[in-house]
Amino acid sequence: MSEKEQKSPADLVKQSLTPMNRELDRDLWPQMLRRLDAGDTDRHWLAVLFSPAALSSVPWFDWALLAALVVGACVFPRLIPIWLYHF
Amino acid sequence: MNTHPYLRAYMAGSAVPTMMLLVVLSGFLIARYTFQIPIPIERAIVFPMALIPNIFGLWNMFYLWMRPRHHLPIGFHGAILPFLIAPLGFLLATCSGFLATTSIGLVWFHEIVIPYAVLAGIFSLALIAYYLVWKYLVGFFNQVLGIS
Repeated sequence: MSEKEQKSPADLVKQSLTPMNRELDRDLWPQMLRRLDAGDTDRHWLAVLFSPAALSSVPWFDWALLAALVVGACVFPRLIPIWLYHF
Repeated sequence: MNTHPYLRAYMAGSAVPTMMLLVVLSGFLIARYTFQIPIPIERAIVFPMALIPNIFGLWNMFYLWMRPRHHLPIGFHGAILPFLIAPLGFLLATCSGFLATTSIGLVWFHEIVIPYAVLAGIFSLALIAYYLVWKYLVGFFNQVLGIS
């Protein structure tokens, strides 16, 4: 088999395949975010808001502030209507 | 396509106090009929029902507008709001006749006396409440509506 005949099958294969695009023509990150959020869309919003993952991401000082708020309401219960008025 | 971001910001902001209105009304009813605090509900409910949700919505729109210019975390942005709401509430309560200033302190609902010395402590608790509500609740609704 001559060298020319050996090359021709390789050329035929190359011609039959579409050229590969080395660069992506779109951003995959939004698609990834949609996939990550897909689990949350099926859940009730309260379940998402109070999910263990959401609660565990709350920093300790925010828990401390919440505790201060609860203690304040317990120490001065008569102020609760005034706080409610401002909400 | 116009996605109306400011309208969504308004809706996200006003959602929390609108939901809280049930808590507020329940609290007022319990205070009046269980603990016999003479709260004039029909006058006192005007501020939390009509003004607070609108103020929250507008403040969240302001947050959206401010974000590209001077970014402040949403919790701190919300914690500024009591500086606006407290004088407004004070003014409305005084005009409605259920808040009086006396020599010993503020008298709310003709019965609850707040000495001037503890006002700062009470106000700081309000700042904490607003910080937490804005950071976690309004922030959550902003995320749901695709604002943040």
